[in-house]
Amino acid sequence: MMEQIFSVTFLTAFLAAAVRMAVPLAYAGLGETIAEKSGILNIGMEGVMLSGAFFSFAGAFLSGSMSVGLLCGIMGGVAVSMLHALLSVKLAKDQSVSGIAINIFILGVTSFLYKLLSSGDSYKQIVPMGKLRIPVLADIPLIGSALFEQDILAYVLYVLIFAVTWFYARTNLGLSAAAIGENPRAADAAGIPVHLYQYLAMVCNGILGGVGGAYLVLVQVGNFSDNMTSGRGYIALAAVILGRYTPLGMLGAAFLFGAANALQIRLQAIGVPLPPQALAMLPYLITLVALLGSIGKNHGPESLSRPYIRGAR
Amino acid sequence: MRKITKAIAAMMAVSMTVLSVAGCGSSSAEATTAAEATTAAAEADTKAEASEAEAPAAEADKTYKVALCLSGAANDMGWCQVAYEGLKILEDKYGCEIAYTENLTPDDIEAAYADYAANGYDVIIGHGYEFGDPAIEVAEQYPDAKFIVTEGEVSADNVASYVTKCEEGGYIMGMLAASMSKTGKVGYVGPIQGASLVKIMNGFEDGAKEVNPDIEVQTAWTGSFTDTALGKEAAQAMIDNGADVIGHCANESGTGCINAAKEAGVFATGDSYDQNDLAPETVLSSSVYHISHVVEVAFQSVLDGTYAGGIYQLGMKEDAVSIAPYHGLEGQIPDEVKSLIDERVAEIKAGTFEVPCDTKVR
Repeated sequence: MMEQIFSVTFLTAFLAAAVRMAVPLAYAGLGETIAEKSGILNIGMEGVMLSGAFFSFAGAFLSGSMSVGLLCGIMGGVAVSMLHALLSVKLAKDQSVSGIAINIFILGVTSFLYKLLSSGDSYKQIVPMGKLRIPVLADIPLIGSALFEQDILAYVLYVLIFAVTWFYARTNLGLSAAAIGENPRAADAAGIPVHLYQYLAMVCNGILGGVGGAYLVLVQVGNFSDNMTSGRGYIALAAVILGRYTPLGMLGAAFLFGAANALQIRLQAIGVPLPPQALAMLPYLITLVALLGSIGKNHGPESLSRPYIRGAR
Repeated sequence: MRKITKAIAAMMAVSMTVLSVAGCGSSSAEATTAAEATTAAAEADTKAEASEAEAPAAEADKTYKVALCLSGAANDMGWCQVAYEGLKILEDKYGCEIAYTENLTPDDIEAAYADYAANGYDVIIGHGYEFGDPAIEVAEQYPDAKFIVTEGEVSADNVASYVTKCEEGGYIMGMLAASMSKTGKVGYVGPIQGASLVKIMNGFEDGAKEVNPDIEVQTAWTGSFTDTALGKEAAQAMIDNGADVIGHCANESGTGCINAAKEAGVFATGDSYDQNDLAPETVLSSSVYHISHVVEVAFQSVLDGTYAGGIYQLGMKEDAVSIAPYHGLEGQIPDEVKSLIDERVAEIKAGTFEVPCDTKVR
């Protein structure tokens, strides 16, 4: 059994599975990083992803086009994020309450709409997006197929991670966008339109979260089912904290979760004599251990989840 | 401006409530007010007293109120939908007044049961083994309601469990998978470990081993009924390990397995439904559970007055389990395999072959 686990074929297939499982988490995590850097905690990420998943399916199914599906998924995600933005920016409500309400609400809405769409008579599915193999790079042993034999959305993710890192580190706008999450009063005094930037951050949150959900439908399985995100939105939240609010760190954390999940299902398949429930705990166990490692250091934006009300003391 | 925003927020809140109630797909039961509930319960009491005096046949033209409690969506194209179809039969054929609640998590089941019982429902059906223990709890407080639990492991005066011998279907799928495997490796994916699912997986393994004692059966549990992507990943892992027929009993999570098999060009077996139309080139056959028939049989016992607490087993012999046709793959399955399967099915139906029911995790 051990030689089976440490064989090149097993590891290659495992790494590819880890990346597949990580991509939707990383999209959602990147959206959440942007929101949290602007001071808004979106616990409703699960709802954003689920909405993205449903509307991408509806769009792709009704139009027969992948790009229409992706666009609908993005719009579905943005709509949910905007709802959260309205509640937390404009109305200055408690962001945790709003986020949880959104998750429960969207689970009901998407299940209901899917029932209308499918009308219960036959099983609906679309053909998922194909893989795009990058020659030469994909031939690198072990990691080649994992990183360079993926779909177009995975490649877009690589670019986005670097673009967002660069945005926060190297541009004035990026500095302003991070400042509003640290000290919105000072940022306001410096002439930064705090609320406008928060809305913009939430638009990005919706777009990326929507793509994360759409990825499940358009790339991974080709159909929608009730609650198909199954907690991935929450794991994305954990990935942001674990990645210490940086895009690259978040990507690493998302990969860790993806790898843990891919590993546990593969260990089961090759017959590792451990109860599956114990193996299913693996991703969460890794989270806890990793969080223990960052005790005492607070990397979060100072004003995270505190609504900014102009002129209030 | 401030007012307008508040108005919009209020409207949103209202629409949220409306939509989420609609989303849960509940019916008249929830709308009934507390006052009505008490009268209904009182009525139920009088009815019950009356029925004790009269013969059951005198109640033939009575309209029965039947409620169904589901763990998932009524249109899930699988486990829950078949029960819902059974409920529709009761409405169409027996003129029952029906209601159902979807997406119940284990902690909500008691409340849902008590709601229906208090509202005077005569027959309350819980669909799945997890509905068993709550039924015992609630049934004690509402002795006039008759509880029916599909796949249950419980019984009481007014709680009857109807168990479908799903392992018979699993066994035949295992035989088929092992017969069609060229690599000597097959895979099977389950959702959450529960007795009624473990026995299908074990049935599959036993069936596969009957055909080929040396076969390697790879198994995995996704820990979820809804996680399609993880189901696909599990099947992919098995295919990467050399499995060339993938079976499942994992509901929506299992459709991911069929997707993985389809993309890899290997065979799969379906579960609950005839799942051939998901992937006509991939799904060899499906183990079909006629839960709607089981629901009907259970209700008939109430109707003819033979209802009694206990655990009842229904299988191929009682038309509760069957095997779906091979459809377009007919030509790819060798004749000797077909006759082997037909023979075994006939033996199970005749009662000369007993599929072992093993609910222990292996």
